[in-house]
Parts: sequence; structure tokens; C-alpha cells
Amino acid sequence: MRSLYQKKVKKRTIILVFFFMLWICLLIFRLTQLQVINHSRLKAEVVEQNQNRYVIHPKRGTIYDRTGNILARSIPRKSVFFTPFKGEPHKLQLETILMLKKVLNLSSGDLQRIKARIAKNDPFIWVKRKIDSEKADKVKKLHLNGIHFMEENKRFYPQGKLAAHILGRVNIDDIGASGIEYKYNSVLEGKKGERLILRDAKRREYRFETIKEPIDGKDIILTIDETIQYIAEKELEKGVLKSKADWGTVIISHPSTGEILAMANYPFFNLNNIPPSLLLKLDRNKAIHHLFDPGSTFKIITASAALESESVSFNDSFDCSEGAIKVAGKAIRDHDRFETLSFPEVIIHSSNVGTVQIGQRIGEEILFNMIKTFGFGKKTKIDLPAEENGIFRSLDEWTDISVASHSIGYEISVTPIQMLQAINIIANKGIIIHPKIVKKSPISSDEVKERLPQYPRVISEETASKLALILQGVVQEGTGKAAHIEGYSVVGKTGTAQKYDPSTGGYSSSAHIASFIGCVLGDEPVFSMIVVIDDPKGQFYGGQVAAPIFRETASKVLRYLHIPRQKNPVETLITAKYWRQTGE
Amino acid sequence: MVRKKYNKKEIAIGISCIITVILILSFYIWHQTESINLGYRTGELEEEVLNLKKEVEKLETIKSSLLSLDKVEKIAKDELKMDPAKDEQIIYENFNNNP
Repeated sequence: MRSLYQKKVKKRTIILVFFFMLWICLLIFRLTQLQVINHSRLKAEVVEQNQNRYVIHPKRGTIYDRTGNILARSIPRKSVFFTPFKGEPHKLQLETILMLKKVLNLSSGDLQRIKARIAKNDPFIWVKRKIDSEKADKVKKLHLNGIHFMEENKRFYPQGKLAAHILGRVNIDDIGASGIEYKYNSVLEGKKGERLILRDAKRREYRFETIKEPIDGKDIILTIDETIQYIAEKELEKGVLKSKADWGTVIISHPSTGEILAMANYPFFNLNNIPPSLLLKLDRNKAIHHLFDPGSTFKIITASAALESESVSFNDSFDCSEGAIKVAGKAIRDHDRFETLSFPEVIIHSSNVGTVQIGQRIGEEILFNMIKTFGFGKKTKIDLPAEENGIFRSLDEWTDISVASHSIGYEISVTPIQMLQAINIIANKGIIIHPKIVKKSPISSDEVKERLPQYPRVISEETASKLALILQGVVQEGTGKAAHIEGYSVVGKTGTAQKYDPSTGGYSSSAHIASFIGCVLGDEPVFSMIVVIDDPKGQFYGGQVAAPIFRETASKVLRYLHIPRQKNPVETLITAKYWRQTGE
Repeated sequence: MVRKKYNKKEIAIGISCIITVILILSFYIWHQTESINLGYRTGELEEEVLNLKKEVEKLETIKSSLLSLDKVEKIAKDELKMDPAKDEQIIYENFNNNP
């Protein structure tokens, strides 16, 4: 017979086993709940808490000028970000941020932004990006929980405002927003990498793992020469300020290669510190973007058409004594009174009356085709973004006055780069070479093949040579005297166009665009240049406003290029007087 | 049970084997440790090289900024009171020896 003690032991054992089994069941239930039912959610929570994946920003490629000077380079900078604890009260999170207010100069806007992100329970919040190393050290010393650093790159332009419109800018994420930075963004930016950071329960980083290595962006070499660009900008600034103009642009190129040596737009911007209100202005590179009626500089196209079609010969003369000519009921006037002028004299003295007569003799079809062949109405294919086509109406849309208007550079809108391409055709003895601004870019060989320049002939070598002689006359004794440089052979053409006034729907009598296109010739063309000045006050003729800027810029560039004075630079010049006297 | 007696030669061979194994193992462990340490050191040096390259690039950029034409001209004009050369002050050398 079992004793009372044995019975008690059995009862206790049963109770103990029961509770043990219950505990086991609860444990199994809880484990199933954690490992099976809520597995994916809980795993995600652990990963979120312990692991962070960060983008490793590649170093953006450097932009150099043709002589190897740095125009744009990315330098490493630290960015501060905040990753709050899960479930950390918003108030505590904000207190952490407020401790950085002084060190990082956080504005009320910054604080508002961070506050909004905290309210949304954002696990990653930028506090301040791309700060200098001193500030980063100060923040590190605070040892704040949840405050971390990421290495990023900041674009730096060592030359400040130099070539700002060409280089363009990048946004806060280092993505090109304008200029070369935008056009060649895919080459410059490289490829992002990825890094995994493991943290312990106290959010301390204990392991770094690079999942994907970043690939740095490739460098680009421009055709720009830093010194020539500087000279162009200095002289342009002086010219614009002197004439109290609204803005101005200068482009200098090497005609036989199409390489742009300088492209300046005034007003300038310091790329390292652009006020947000001026961002849009910077994005507009007037040298390739601005459309204007070229006025008399366009007479070189009319003269080309006349010579190429043999509609006019050198000894043909035109009666300009009336000072005006009526076309389709509208009077076209000269800027000065002339008598009878020979064909070269018409161009040399920039007579509208004479040029209209030449245009009428050529006829609309030949003139239209010549304008088209010179490349007007379409992009020059320069490797910069936002280039304009210009406005060149089809022959069907021409009216009775169109031949006369086009002959003297009205009823057509061009960009400064298109006009530079036109003078380059004459400098290159009749062939067209498209302008380019990137000398060397790491693009694939297939792309290079596609980009290999074709050099179609626009006018004959003979026509180009004759035109060069006439344009030499413009600088020697015509409207472009102010562009003459003692000891050098300069060809060029002045232009003064009335600006289109949208309020009246016609041309303004008080606002003008003054321009000068020209080229310095040696055995080979040395360089070509266009100067465009918008709305100069007081003196407004191209010969008074733009030609002096050409002379000053060209003189300094010649000195920089170590090109000495020629002994007999004008020996090939046949003056207008000579043509008239001899008829040859 | 009779205990086997080892002669001195066998004992010496045995001890030599044990020492050889210990030496090989020690060398292996030392080699592994050194490899790991060298790996760390290489990593550190690579990091240092990378940082120095970045520093060189940064200094190059600063140099470029300090030598920007705008600054040079300002110093030349304002501090050194220099003037641009006049035409008659410039002599071009003819390196081609052409008359």
C-alpha cells in the first residue's frame, strides 16, 4: 500500500510535469510566432536596425582646358545625416538636431525640413551636406547618437567665374544641370557603388562591407584656352561697361579645326557661389542660345551668293546716291550718304542700298540656297546643350521684301555661333568645319567614327579668297577700321541691327545689337572671333562698339600666342579705289 | 603485461618528429598571422595612398585657384604695381632663322 508521502510526491510530479509541458507549449507557440508567423516582418526590422546600405558616390571627372589647367574638379566633403533609433521620441530626435544648429549654421528652413522628416519617421535624414572638414571635426567631437557622416564630393571651380557659361553647373547630387556638366554628365559622373554597414544594439558601426565598388567619372579636356578665355572675358566686360550695354558675348575659334578657344558671356557668374535667383540666367549660354537679326554682318552671305553665282563682278557699280531704296513700299536706308559704289565698296562701306540691289540681282532662290548652305536655320552641332536652330523661313514663306531684308540681315534670326561658323567658312577657303568645344572625351570609338567631321564645300576657293580681300578692305578703309591691328592682316565685317520690339511688333529705332565678325590671317587663319553687344547706349554701331573690343582682344591674344607682326601684312590688299580705277 | 622498451634512437626520432610537427605548426600559425597582419597593413597603406592622392588633388585644385589669372593680375597690378607691356617693349625671337 502506497503511503501518503508517495501520493503527495506523485501529485506534485504531475503538477510539475503539467506546468513544464505548459511552459514548453508556450515556448513552442512563441517560437512559432516569432520564427514562422512574423518571420519576414521581424527579419526586416532586424535588418533595418542593424544594417544600413549606403551609396558610395563616385568621384566626378575633372574638366581641363586645352593646356591642362583645371577648370572643374570634385573634392571630397563630408555630409552629415541622422538615423534615429526605432521608437525614439520625436522630441529627443529634435533635441539631437538642435545641438548641431550652431556648429552647422542650420537655418530655420533646414530645421523645418528636418522636423518634417522626423514627423514622418524617416529612417535617414540629411542634416547638412558637403560641409568643410573643420565643421565635420566639431560635429564628431559632440559624439551624438544617430549622427553619422557620409563622404560625398563637392564640385569646385578653381577659376571662379571663368568660362562659367561653358562649364555649367551641377546640382546638390552632383548631376550636371547645364553646360558641359550637363552635356557630358554620363561621362563625368561615373557609376555609384554601394556599402553595407553593420551596427550593434547601441548603433555603433562594427563592420563595413563594400558590396559594389564605385567607378569614378572620366576626365574631359576642352578646346578652351584658359588665358584666351580670360582675355576675352576681360575685354568683353570693359566693352559692355563702357557702352552701358545689357549684355555681350565673344567667341574665339580656330577656323581650320573648328575648335572654340574662348566663349565669354557678360554678365559673369561665380560658379562656386551662384545666387539661386541667377541660376536660370547661367543656364542660358547666349553665344549659342540667343537669337538676333544679324544685320550687316550677314552681307558676307549676300556677297558670297553674288560671287558664287557670278551675278555680280568686282567692277559692277551700284547707285547709292539716293541714300534709300524702296522695296514693296518700304524704304530701306543707308547709315551714311554714298555716291556710286563698286561691288567691293558696297560691302566695305556696308551700304544697305547697294546690298539690296545686289540681292535683287542674285534673286531669291540663289540667296535662299546660299543661306541654307552656310548652315543657317540649323544647329552648328557644337557639343553644348540648348543650342538654338535660329529662325530661317522657307522660300514659300518669303514675301516681296524678303530678298531685300535677307540681303541686309533682317527677317532671319541667327545665333552668334552660327555667324562665327560663317566667317570660318571664308577663313577656311570655302569649306565648313563645325565648331567643337571638347578636345578629348573618353567616348567609344564607334561614337568617334560617327563624329568624324565631314568638310563639305560651301563656296569655291576663289569666292572665299575674293571675299577675304573685300573683308580686309572693311577693316582697312571701311566700317571696321576700329578693328585694324597694326602689323597684322585682319578681315572682318561690322553689323548693326535694330532690335525686334515685341510691344510694337516691329523693329525698335532706339535699341540695337552691335556686332563684329572677323579673323586674323597669317599663312593660315590664326583665329576668328565674333563680338555681339546688346543694346549699347550712346554709340551703337558695330564699328564703334564691337570692333574696338575685337581689336583689343585680338591684340592681346596675338601677343599671348607669340605671333609677331608681319612685315608686309597689307601687300595683298587691293583697295576699293584700285578696283574702281582699273576695273580689274 | 610487459612494457615495451624504447631504445634511445627511437625516442630521438619520436621527439624529432614531435618538434618538427610543432615547428611546422608554429610556422604555419606564424605565417597565417603575419599574412593577416600584412593584409591589414597593406589595407591601411592603400587607404593612406588613396587619402594622399585625394590630398594631392585637393592641393592641386587649391594651387590652381590661387594661380587663377584674375588673382595673379590683381596682385601684379595692385600690389606689385606692374603695367602691361607696351608693343615697343616686346621683342619676338625668330627661331626659324628666317630673314
